[in-house]
Amino acid sequence: MIKNFINFEWKQFFRSSYFQKGVAIKILLVFAVLYFGGAALMLGVGLFFILKETLPNLDPIVVVNNFLIYWFIFDLVIRFFMQQLPVMNVKPLMIIPVKRNIVINYLLGKTALSFFNFIPLFIFLPFSIVLLMKGYPALNVVCWFFATLFLGFSNNFLNFLINKSNVIFYVLISVFTGLIGLEFFGIFKISRPIGVAFNSLYNTPILVIIPLLLMIGLYIINFNYIKNGFYLDDTVSKKIKEVNATDLSWMDRFGSVAIFLKNDVKLIWRNARPKQVMMMSFLFLFYGLIFFTNKTYSNSPAWLAFASIFVTGGFLLTFGQLVPSWDSEYYKLLMSQNIPYKKYLESKWYLMVFGVTLSFILSTPYLYFGWKIYGMIAAGALFNIGINSFTTLFGGALNRVPIELNVKAKAFSNTNGFNPTQMLIALPKMVLPMLLFYVPYKFINYEAGLLVLALSGVLGIVFKNFFLNKIEKIYQNGKYKTIAAFNEKNN
Amino acid sequence: MIKTTELSKKYGGITVLNIESIEIPKGQTFGLVGNNGAGKTTYFNLLLDLIKPTTGHVINNEIQVNTSEDWKPFTAAFIDETFLIGYLTAEEYFYFIGELRGMNKADVDAFLVQFSEIFNDEIIGKKKYLRDLSKGNQKKAGIVAALIGNPEVIILDEPFANLDPTTQIRLKKLLSELAKNSNATVLISSHDLGHITEVCERIVVLDKGNVVKDLKTSEETLKELEAYFSV
Repeated sequence: MIKNFINFEWKQFFRSSYFQKGVAIKILLVFAVLYFGGAALMLGVGLFFILKETLPNLDPIVVVNNFLIYWFIFDLVIRFFMQQLPVMNVKPLMIIPVKRNIVINYLLGKTALSFFNFIPLFIFLPFSIVLLMKGYPALNVVCWFFATLFLGFSNNFLNFLINKSNVIFYVLISVFTGLIGLEFFGIFKISRPIGVAFNSLYNTPILVIIPLLLMIGLYIINFNYIKNGFYLDDTVSKKIKEVNATDLSWMDRFGSVAIFLKNDVKLIWRNARPKQVMMMSFLFLFYGLIFFTNKTYSNSPAWLAFASIFVTGGFLLTFGQLVPSWDSEYYKLLMSQNIPYKKYLESKWYLMVFGVTLSFILSTPYLYFGWKIYGMIAAGALFNIGINSFTTLFGGALNRVPIELNVKAKAFSNTNGFNPTQMLIALPKMVLPMLLFYVPYKFINYEAGLLVLALSGVLGIVFKNFFLNKIEKIYQNGKYKTIAAFNEKNN
Repeated sequence: MIKTTELSKKYGGITVLNIESIEIPKGQTFGLVGNNGAGKTTYFNLLLDLIKPTTGHVINNEIQVNTSEDWKPFTAAFIDETFLIGYLTAEEYFYFIGELRGMNKADVDAFLVQFSEIFNDEIIGKKKYLRDLSKGNQKKAGIVAALIGNPEVIILDEPFANLDPTTQIRLKKLLSELAKNSNATVLISSHDLGHITEVCERIVVLDKGNVVKDLKTSEETLKELEAYFSV
């Protein structure tokens, strides 16, 4: 039976739509996997030496152990937002004569193969090998490695429980916030005893049994949880959420596009996929930190322009590039209803402007880095509103990938919007502002660069109707193709 | 009201629809029957400009549908579940459609009262998203939404399918009343010969994309259709 299951999985994997995509995308995907895998591998190998160099007085393994808890919390958070739980496919298996226990074991076993469980392998395995080569006691290192592995899997199963049970979710959230609060205000440093715990885990190899038991325990809890709810209307089904109806009539002041804006807010608020994108776009806000804190970049201001686009453009870039796709599930309705195309596009434009504005407000703490950098962010925000919003909408016209709204994207299986044309269109969004800033900067001064960048954005806003009309034509021309492409997934 | 001329649709050299000419006068209740693959949905999709005609064109109230968007304000349709917005509740969906058709919340609420029998307390006030409703209830919501705002042309693809018997009978009554009391042109397709002969004044039979019968409904129509299909 298990053989059959694996066979199904194989077919599901290779027959799924993303595998039927062009060679170019496959190659890009392979590169992406290689890149991230390679980066993790490098980190794993280099970690020992980096720590040795920066903190010569401390044993690298002790430092790693002290910080391990943050890694696992981070891992859990990422899993919560990104990891897709493989429960949906269980329906056809419920009535065939297979023991429930086999199905459940299989179901849980399958989660073990998740991409997220391989990341620690890439980091901790090379790190452990380096430790061994440096003459650390073999038994301790091997046991420590397995301990991290077991803890990773514990996270895997814990994530399942968090996703399925609100009680566990809230309990965990309150425990975490409580502990972080205590830590932050210096009342009780929880990270210290945890660091000690991890270190004793390393020093006393036999303690590896604790993470092992934790993993097994969580597995059993999961098993019982699923077993008790192995009915269509229970654990294995999609959660039917109570509607949280909010009154959005205050948005009516936005005039004729208000009706679409209200819908878009609900779209983002009520579906898993857009929520995920929102979270990602929030992370973009911190992108500037990499650049603004680094001397090499602050000395070549063109890179600051590059970074400023990302600081305020997170939502625009991530949400905007999938513009018609967000409505792919009901595109036929929009195309046959009393909706002028231009109004539809205009509402999406307003949404992006709103996203940029909000990001700009949230980016106020960057004032810390001085007026020059903050000015750059402001100019970048204007450029995002005036130029990049239209470039993004234009790129959307060429994007015909349907999106399943209420399904989280899987890591590395999400090729939506990931195609060569999109990449080409994304390029000017970043290169153009760099040029617009750099040329006047080189010939006049920094302020002139900012002015040109900001003015080009203002110009875009002034010619908004012109741009929207042009983009509308392109959407109109691609209408039948888009409908047909969106239909493929829906049927 | 709706004029179809030399309309054809080919997919990779295979003709799926080929209509020389159909003229549907204003206020007519028009029924389309045919086996799977006869071209019913293709025809409706062409009427709504959702697919591109290979040859010919459709003129809806003097407006050629694939060159202008001006037919949209007076035309409404429910073809399948992709006409629903899954993350809205039924009420929100009705308000959305109503707003597109120039009706405010109060107008929509007043309009919905007459459907309380059909909704059977399972659609309004349920705090459920449309995507979580049963197929039958989704269909009800979609059909009712297509009637919002007194459209002059209403297109419903297989409105009876997936509905429970009671609702089928209620829907029949509703459509007949609509044909009598308003001047709307109603186009429906169905696999149920009984229902469609009861509701429609005129029935066109499609077979492999061609019009094979064009009947004015009378006492004998049901028998004639049954004879035709019982091959």
